[in-house]
Amino acid sequence: MQRARQPRVGVFVCHCGINIAGVVKVPDLVAEASLLPGVVTARDYVYCCSDPGQKIIRDAVRNDRLERVVVACCSPTLHEGTFRNACAEAGLNPYLCEIANIREQCAWVTADRDAATAKALGIIKTAIAKATLDRPLEPVGLPLTKRALVVGAGIAGIQASLDIANAGYDVVLVDKEPSIGGHMAQLSETFPTLDCSQCILTPRTVETGRHPRIRLLTYSEVASVSGFVGNFKVRIRLKPRYVDFDSCTGCGLCMEKCPGRAESAFERGMTRRKAIYRLLPQAVPNRPVIDPEACMYMKKGKCGTCARICPTQAIRFDDTERFVEEEVGAIVLATGYELLDATRLGSYGVADVPDVIDGLAFERLLSASGPTSGEVKRPSDGKVPKHVVFVQCAGSRDSTSGVPYCSKICCMYTAKQAILYKHRVHDGEATVCYIDVRTPGKGFEEFYRRATDEGIQYLRGKVSKIFRQGDKVIIWTADTLAGRKLELEADMVVLSTAVVANPAGVELARRLKIQLDPHGFMTEAHPKLRPVETLAAGFFLAGCGQGPKDIPETVSQASAAAAKVLALFGQDKMFHSPTTAEVDEDVCVGCGYCERTCAYDAVKVDSARRIAVVNPALCEGCGACGVACPSGAISHRNFTRQAICSMIGQD
Amino acid sequence: MDYVYYPGCTLFTKARNLDECARKAAERVGFTLNEMPSWNCCGAIYNTTSDDLAAQVGPVRNLAKASQLGDRLVTLCAACYNVLKRAQDMLNGHGDALVRDRLLAFVEEPLVQPVKVLHFLEVLKNDIGWDNLRSRVVRELAGLKVACYYGCLMVRPAEVLSFDNPENPQVMDELMGVLGAAPVRFDFKAECCGGYLVVNRRDVARQCSDRIVENARAWGAEAIVTTCPLCQFNLERLPAASASPLPVFYFTQLLGLAAGLSEHELGLTSNTPTATEFLRAKGLT
Repeated sequence: MQRARQPRVGVFVCHCGINIAGVVKVPDLVAEASLLPGVVTARDYVYCCSDPGQKIIRDAVRNDRLERVVVACCSPTLHEGTFRNACAEAGLNPYLCEIANIREQCAWVTADRDAATAKALGIIKTAIAKATLDRPLEPVGLPLTKRALVVGAGIAGIQASLDIANAGYDVVLVDKEPSIGGHMAQLSETFPTLDCSQCILTPRTVETGRHPRIRLLTYSEVASVSGFVGNFKVRIRLKPRYVDFDSCTGCGLCMEKCPGRAESAFERGMTRRKAIYRLLPQAVPNRPVIDPEACMYMKKGKCGTCARICPTQAIRFDDTERFVEEEVGAIVLATGYELLDATRLGSYGVADVPDVIDGLAFERLLSASGPTSGEVKRPSDGKVPKHVVFVQCAGSRDSTSGVPYCSKICCMYTAKQAILYKHRVHDGEATVCYIDVRTPGKGFEEFYRRATDEGIQYLRGKVSKIFRQGDKVIIWTADTLAGRKLELEADMVVLSTAVVANPAGVELARRLKIQLDPHGFMTEAHPKLRPVETLAAGFFLAGCGQGPKDIPETVSQASAAAAKVLALFGQDKMFHSPTTAEVDEDVCVGCGYCERTCAYDAVKVDSARRIAVVNPALCEGCGACGVACPSGAISHRNFTRQAICSMIGQD
Repeated sequence: MDYVYYPGCTLFTKARNLDECARKAAERVGFTLNEMPSWNCCGAIYNTTSDDLAAQVGPVRNLAKASQLGDRLVTLCAACYNVLKRAQDMLNGHGDALVRDRLLAFVEEPLVQPVKVLHFLEVLKNDIGWDNLRSRVVRELAGLKVACYYGCLMVRPAEVLSFDNPENPQVMDELMGVLGAAPVRFDFKAECCGGYLVVNRRDVARQCSDRIVENARAWGAEAIVTTCPLCQFNLERLPAASASPLPVFYFTQLLGLAAGLSEHELGLTSNTPTATEFLRAKGLT
């Protein structure tokens, strides 16, 4: 075989201020590098990533007719793109530019200057060896379906859907509940402005329900997702509503006459709803569903009142689940939160004490559409409670029986709830037992001050026990500022139970292989710089499924996720890095080791030809298949065995 | 099934009824307690002293001796269980190795194998099993509303004892359910009964016990069940004379009753007369 001509290489050493130059002897390094085989130019500059630094590289590519570029600088995760773009601008294929990481892997971890300089030279040699064997590559172009799927129609999913739809793209919005709005639809008023949650939410739900570009699928769940960014195929399960969606007018006659009853989850178990029900009067879509567990006709074959009185004959007792398929290019996960099951908190005795409720239940007691029409009445006997104790950090910041993190919203919603309670019950007393009050938000500290100014008593101490005594609830706590133990007597207790990831969202994320943190919250690609993307291309995050947050922050994140989707849809077609696996079809025997090894479902054996086929859109270039391949048929573009051996072979 | 058994001093004096009834009940439900020879004080009485080394001598010697007889040691008294299990944890390597070596050298008994300290309740639940136990019940305690009181020593420190949920323990409630009784939920399952304060601050101990008994009564309990001689004493004898007392049984007495032991074998004479009257009124003796 004829040996290929040594290509013309340029080496550029970056000082990175003193990060590199403070340890590595850059002039010596440049002198040595210039003598290496193939190197036609070796230069250094204080900051290669700056505009003048990039210009040096571009000029050298043109003037010295460089065929390979090696930049000795920081990690490729930071500036590989910068320098590859610079090469491309000067007419060199960007995949012929390699990074020699002499900062993180050399200067930062080596004290001795001579040793560091020698090591930097070694790293540069390996980069040259790899660059020499690099082939010019073109990004893989892929078609792009410009429709989005949004999972979860709380305020996060609604906001993301509206932003995407208003920019002119179709959205499929899926929610497991019969109507949209999520937890925000349960809230009474919102902190720190005390505007009514329904009043600010319903314009959005109505717009979502009527938007010509939004296909709303309520009472539905994502069954499966296949494909890849730009080309997802989604199978959605529509649960049986037992009410024909198109003929129902939402008149509500059926709900008036229905004799079946079941505990209302929306009202946090404080009241019973009908067997045919909608979550709230402002429901979007305004179509009831039948709960087959509570429906007398479906359980016992007797009744059928709703079917008899329905003016449009919309009742369908024989309804079954259905599936629809949708093709989308991007997916926003807005699966939201739940509150920690308070029965996990043994000493707070919530299960058997009806007057110990959680924050969402208290929202329902304050809400005009709630079970008490906005009058604060306690669940056990309907009396107006004259002393309400709010217990903070019920499970939050408690790694023994709860969760270690701060749930973020409780300090503020408790201040709000205590203020609203005092507004409704003028002679009532409100006490907040807290361990810290955290108010980092616009207007939050002022709002907390307002609560204390309005006579709400704040006691600093962790509540140790809550129990019933007669018709009172006893709270054992401490006032650590006064240094004494306290026993409080209350008519009702509101627990700020921890915000946890919605279990349905956790289950979905597991199926979609979206990374979760130890508490079940979905993990963003980078905590600071990529906060709404996931590591799986085409999946974006919005709302409390990613971590506890309040409404303003949720809406901001939802709009950010929508912007990311729109940036994707702004392209004519998608490009994927070409540094993927490739199969030598002459060598492959179709054993399937690669298929079983691949974490991304990117390699499949074509059963007809008995040959492995790589889907370049899914391949992340990890190289696992190449290691697994017993016949050496799979290799990684620009990271071939030959390249690796050549790199190792440098002294 | 045979187990090495550590009774502890109280079970040979005040709480003789706990010991005797437990041995007989064990036979009825399918296991044997073999009392280890020449056992000594578990160490509980030193537990509050500042010298931790002296407190560990007793339990370490007991564990070393037990290790020569078997790898599992069963005990009944909550205090013995707590002290022995914490010493076992220290011997298992969660502690200062130097202290461990000094203790073992001092007691002059070789620790020939690691010993697992078990409470009688753990044997019932994990080794006998609730289903098996249910088949041995000859006299169902139907409708007996009992409050299962665990006290503080059985469940804490939770990371060492890992006996049950420290805030809402369940194992005794499960046992009572298996025996046909109706355990009531109450709020003071694991609060202090007053302990040794009964010796010199009877008023404080009485406050603690009163609270437990009154809460159990408020939740509908007709009797209290416990594992610990000191808890049994405080809950039974301390509450103010004005209140009608609740009978306080050892769990082994109710187990024995359900498994067919005679009234005499239950050792009810060591309880207050209320206990006997209560069981008679319920038609169980």
